[in-house]
Amino acid sequence: MTFQTPPAVEVRNLAKHYGDFVALKNVNVTIAAGEYFVLLGPSGGGKTTLLRTIGGFQKPTSGDVFLHGKSVGHLPPDKRPTTMVFQAYALFPHMNVTQNVGYGLKVAGLPKAQIADKVAHALDQVGLTKFAQRKPHELSGGQQQRVQLARAIVLDRDILLLDEPLAALDAQLRKDMCLELKHLQEKVGITFIHVTHNQEEAMTVADRIALIANGDLVEVGRARDIYRAPEKSFTASFVGENNVLKGKVSDANGVSVTVDVAGAKLQVAKRDLPVSTGQNVTLSIRSECVALETVNDSNAPTDGLSMLGAYDESVYLGLTTSHLVRLPDGTEMVSRIIADADDTLPVNGAPVRLRWKPTDIRLHVE
Amino acid sequence: MVSSPTNVTNGVRPVGSMQTPLHERLALWAFRAPLIFMVLFFAIPMAMTVVFSVFERTMFWMEPGFTLTAYENFFFSARLGNFLNSMKYSLISVAICFVIGFPISVFVRKSIPQVAQHRVVLLFILPFMVSEIIRVFALRPVLQRNGLMNTALTNMGIIDEPITALLYTHTSVVIGEVMSFLPFIIFSGFLAMEAVPKFIFEVCDDLGVGPWRRFKDVILPLAAPGIFAGSVFIFVNGLGVALLPNILGGAGAVNAGLIATQAISALDFPLAMAVSAIMMATLMTLLWIGHKLFDLTKILTPLS
Repeated sequence: MTFQTPPAVEVRNLAKHYGDFVALKNVNVTIAAGEYFVLLGPSGGGKTTLLRTIGGFQKPTSGDVFLHGKSVGHLPPDKRPTTMVFQAYALFPHMNVTQNVGYGLKVAGLPKAQIADKVAHALDQVGLTKFAQRKPHELSGGQQQRVQLARAIVLDRDILLLDEPLAALDAQLRKDMCLELKHLQEKVGITFIHVTHNQEEAMTVADRIALIANGDLVEVGRARDIYRAPEKSFTASFVGENNVLKGKVSDANGVSVTVDVAGAKLQVAKRDLPVSTGQNVTLSIRSECVALETVNDSNAPTDGLSMLGAYDESVYLGLTTSHLVRLPDGTEMVSRIIADADDTLPVNGAPVRLRWKPTDIRLHVE
Repeated sequence: MVSSPTNVTNGVRPVGSMQTPLHERLALWAFRAPLIFMVLFFAIPMAMTVVFSVFERTMFWMEPGFTLTAYENFFFSARLGNFLNSMKYSLISVAICFVIGFPISVFVRKSIPQVAQHRVVLLFILPFMVSEIIRVFALRPVLQRNGLMNTALTNMGIIDEPITALLYTHTSVVIGEVMSFLPFIIFSGFLAMEAVPKFIFEVCDDLGVGPWRRFKDVILPLAAPGIFAGSVFIFVNGLGVALLPNILGGAGAVNAGLIATQAISALDFPLAMAVSAIMMATLMTLLWIGHKLFDLTKILTPLS
């Protein structure tokens, strides 16, 4: 990231209140030009509010939005360098594809020949050249969203806001459209800010992901980091399928911390986090990193990287099988394994050992 | 149906001769009922209107025959001019109603919370709680020579002499029509706006579409079928409701409805029938043109 050019989007201390309801509280985020940025989070978490505030469709209660280094708080949506792709198939029902895409340019007063050129180019970029004369109701959902994309990129504004653009599409189409979006962004090279509650969608398209929940920006990072090394326990519980364990620190000296979880003493890297003995902390381990072993005795393991539990049941998911194990304190842990090993399933209630590598368990202090 | 002897001896009725249950037969009539209604109260009266219009006029009624006297009476007298005039002034009423009423329905759709919208529209029904005769009659003291309007304008120094053209003229009829029929364009405009999805306004914000273009390019084409329906309703009433020109109109300021009514008072029934037939033909043509232009079936199909 260079510091000569200001970031495409900079949000400072942004808050939005609806009466007593706080939709956003003090959010700060910086998005570089040319980045594919995803706002991920549960429904009602405030991600759409943030996007709409950046786009100028809503006024913030407090805080500032800077686009390319300029404060845009006073500008309406069309005067900002942003344009929006809406969740609904938000096309003009009475205009055909060409008219829909060209309407913004017509309003801007461009000469007809230039509009025709630009529209043709935009339609080519989204692969809809053949459908130029169709009306919206003659197009599929995916095609309608592509028309919206064309209508947005044809304006030559350099920040594209996408509000759950694929939410109304079915699963397979959504996967295909995800990749198309990613490729389109690489082709046109402008900043994309994409709101979704779908983790897979976020991971497919994003350069960076911001996790937003309860009006807070929880964590920002590359998709890989968010998935593999979540900083916050909320991230761990929302992204991927993590086992989240609560425990109490019994020893916090040295590079690793010892945490008491359900009677076992677990070792976890300290990562310079401020922990002290006796503190309540959270641990997370991704379910696919947990190995399951049958044991004969019930002696508690002492290596700090495994736990004993009672086998509960297995859930067959096709590619993987999830094995549910109940810990002595009643918490459920999941071990996800790529195997159709239905012949070696332990019986219900049998003692099993869950084991993981030292690098797979993470400490969260909140 | 006759049952076979074998079945009769066995005491069992053959399946084929079983009577359809009563409620099924009734259900069938329920489907036929609208058709019967339309034929009885719409098609037959319309046909009779046309047939009676060519009957011979007698002293107090008419007798079967074929003559175009009634049509002659209509087309070669001041009635034709009055009829065309009443069409013109009905159109003016439609235009005024649209200009005043449609922005109200757009406003209700756009700026009033969804839950309150229907209640706000219901407010426009309140005027109907007062008898139309009374409402229209109440315009007289407002519009007459020494009426409220003239007094107010004189007192404000805007005019020196009272405006006498306010009552018993086409102006007063148009005022009365706007007052009576404005709610209809608001209702139909409100329903027409259903065809304009709400997200359209945000898209327009994003594209920087100004208010006039927004109206001309987006709202009007989408709401056109509904607006046309409301306008036809007002036009028909402007042409046909005799009450308004009867109370507010004067020499020449009549409409088709009043021409027919006057013909009936003069016991010229064929003429009244001819006027009605001409009015129906005019309106049918109008609807046909409207249907060709806007596809009126769209009014009943909400956008998905």
